Amino acid sequence: MRFEVRNLSFSFGDKRVLRDISFEAADGEFLGLMGPNGSGKTTLLRCMTHYLQTEENRIFINGKPLQSLTSTDLAKTFAVVPQSSSTDFTFSAHDIVMMGRFPHMSSRLAGYGKVDDAIVRSAMEKTNTWHFAARPFYALSGGERQRVIIARAIAQQPQGLLLDEPTVYLDINGQLEVMDLIKKLNRSEGISVVAVLHDVNLAARYCDRIALLSQGRLEAIASPKEVLTPELIQSVYGVDVVVRKDPFSETVYVVPHSTVSVVPKHGTRVHLLCGGGTGGPIMKALFDAGFVVSVGVLNVLDSDFENANDMHLATVAEVPFAPISDSAHGENLRKIQESSAIVMSPFPVGPGNIRNLEAARTAARSGKAVFILEHDPEKGIDFVGGKADGFIKELISSGAVLVKDVGELLGRLSCGGIK
Amino acid sequence: MDHLAAQKDSETTSEEYLRVLRRRTLILSALPFALLISAFLAVFIGTAGPLGPGVIDQEGHHERISFGDAIDAILNAHGDWPYDYHAVFWDVRIPRVLLAGLVGAALACSGTAMQAVFRNPMADPFIVGVSSGASLGAVVVEVTGLGALVAIGTIMSPVFAFITALVTVLVVYSLGTVRGRVYVDTLLLSGVAVAAFLSALVSFLIYFAHLEYHRIIFWLLGSLAQATWPAVATVALAVGVGSMLIFLFSRDLNALLLGEETAHNLGADPEFLKTLMLVVAAVMTSAAVAFTGVIGFIGLIIPHMMRIAVGADHRILLPSATLAGATFLILADSVARTVISPNALPVGIITALSGGPFFLYLLRRSRTESER
Repeated sequence: MRFEVRNLSFSFGDKRVLRDISFEAADGEFLGLMGPNGSGKTTLLRCMTHYLQTEENRIFINGKPLQSLTSTDLAKTFAVVPQSSSTDFTFSAHDIVMMGRFPHMSSRLAGYGKVDDAIVRSAMEKTNTWHFAARPFYALSGGERQRVIIARAIAQQPQGLLLDEPTVYLDINGQLEVMDLIKKLNRSEGISVVAVLHDVNLAARYCDRIALLSQGRLEAIASPKEVLTPELIQSVYGVDVVVRKDPFSETVYVVPHSTVSVVPKHGTRVHLLCGGGTGGPIMKALFDAGFVVSVGVLNVLDSDFENANDMHLATVAEVPFAPISDSAHGENLRKIQESSAIVMSPFPVGPGNIRNLEAARTAARSGKAVFILEHDPEKGIDFVGGKADGFIKELISSGAVLVKDVGELLGRLSCGGIK
Repeated sequence: MDHLAAQKDSETTSEEYLRVLRRRTLILSALPFALLISAFLAVFIGTAGPLGPGVIDQEGHHERISFGDAIDAILNAHGDWPYDYHAVFWDVRIPRVLLAGLVGAALACSGTAMQAVFRNPMADPFIVGVSSGASLGAVVVEVTGLGALVAIGTIMSPVFAFITALVTVLVVYSLGTVRGRVYVDTLLLSGVAVAAFLSALVSFLIYFAHLEYHRIIFWLLGSLAQATWPAVATVALAVGVGSMLIFLFSRDLNALLLGEETAHNLGADPEFLKTLMLVVAAVMTSAAVAFTGVIGFIGLIIPHMMRIAVGADHRILLPSATLAGATFLILADSVARTVISPNALPVGIITALSGGPFFLYLLRRSRTESER
């Protein structure tokens, strides 16, 4: 099923909700509609289902204007899945799915036949709902209900599926279950999907393309990678985010975080020695406390390298998988010289990065304040046969301070007059 | 192993579901017989009848005719009885039983439809002001003396009640409609407000006109004492056409119970549906109420009872409720006729006495269910 929207505007009374929206949803596509609350995404969906009346010749289904089709025609072409469904009346799950056959009835006097029974059963088996077919709909859990509603949509035998935040009231397990089901229908049965989604990461994971709405305008429509950029998200949602590649799939995921520090910058410099992802929370905490943070030495591709990069911190970097070179080590020592304090995260120490400990020793010997975050005693950090533990003992004896956590670190930093 | 278990599971579901369906169909097919039997019995129940308390003659003897004589009297106009039993049956008893059945059917059928339109289990056929409108019309007829006019007196009251009922519904309907769209929650509140206003007017009129209270109370509580053949014919026409129209939209009503947007998305036209159902139910109940006064609780409790028995699917629920409503009112009227024989109680007292406690039971049940 192909959807085409041409220069669509829509108002509730004087309030303009949609402004001049044009896009196309191709046959077999999984299109996500996204945008902040009040951006008009649900209104757009309701225009597409013809629940709201638009001007003529604004929306086309398979090339035909929406207005030229009866509501029965529409219900045979696409099915709609709302955010949630409830009723005070005791319909069984089977009754609800059977309603999907309603648009296919030849006359008001015709009853449901064997064919309808078979279609309903297969729809319920596909959605794993057949085993509770006789149970009352109201007694089902949110996820079960949503699967029943999707079964009803399948029973409509549609070419397309329109969904309005179908997972908004579901827990994480229910969300994945429902989204996987929709994706399966999209891929294996070629059912086109247009879904209003509010969760950026669900959208990134399941959509072929995302249409991003902002204040009733179509801001962008492209692949998740192209739409979910920190710049676009900041301009539409007003939130700073980090966009990462999902390590287990080809998709991206978005981590919101504020890069506006909670305390005014005071300019005190702190250098952080870290690696393997142990430095992320420390960077963030120091940054939020108003310090100017530099990081080193990190291999490119190290997760702390990416963390520092996302926070735009000055970073001493080394090429991937290489031991710390002389030039990187020198740069690291220079950063240490410029800083009022040195912090060491409990990073795993191997032959490649042991020079970070040397750098710390140099700092301690030159009288710099050095803080070491304790590591979990269950998990050693020494992968160089006791050398690292020896370094740490030596550091402590030359005046380095051992701290339990980031909170204690910040306390020590301010008490020690470093801030 | 897993596969086998799943298969067994799904077979159990099929079995379970078929059992539910069979039960529904069984109940629906038993209801016409229940109706016929209760109608048949009701004809013989009464002060004059083989199943009634009997007639006391001038010498103080209790007299009760036998079943055979009663059937003979129904079939044969010229018998040898102390009373004109033939006329008792054909002019009073049979039209009364028929009217009871028709009115019960009208109220239960339109009550079911109203609960669907309002998506509210507390809705009843009077929710859009039919009862208060009709009451006002009937009381006005009494107060102005129109009812005392010989010959047209008996006609005047129903005609007036019918008209005022429909006018009231029209007012409530337009209060609940904005730019061609019916807002059921507004409609519901408008109905409540208008009904309260009109009830106050009715009380005012009764208070100041020093009406013969006994007469008006029969009307306000509902009574089938005014059953005549023209009344039966009129209500039969309204119920016949009205219930058929409502039945034709059973599937649409099912969809509407899941919300107007869902109904639209399944191919129904919610605006048309709401208006059609309101109009049909209003005409049907107004026609019934015009002849019998306000018989409460049937339109509320019969749909609930039948929903428990056959489920919420209107394709089965609507005919079941219609038949059960007819049966229930015929039985209730039989009780009303005999309980303080030779006088009759307003049948509305019987329906409310049996309906009130049941309604409270339902209320408690739905509360404990939602606490689950």
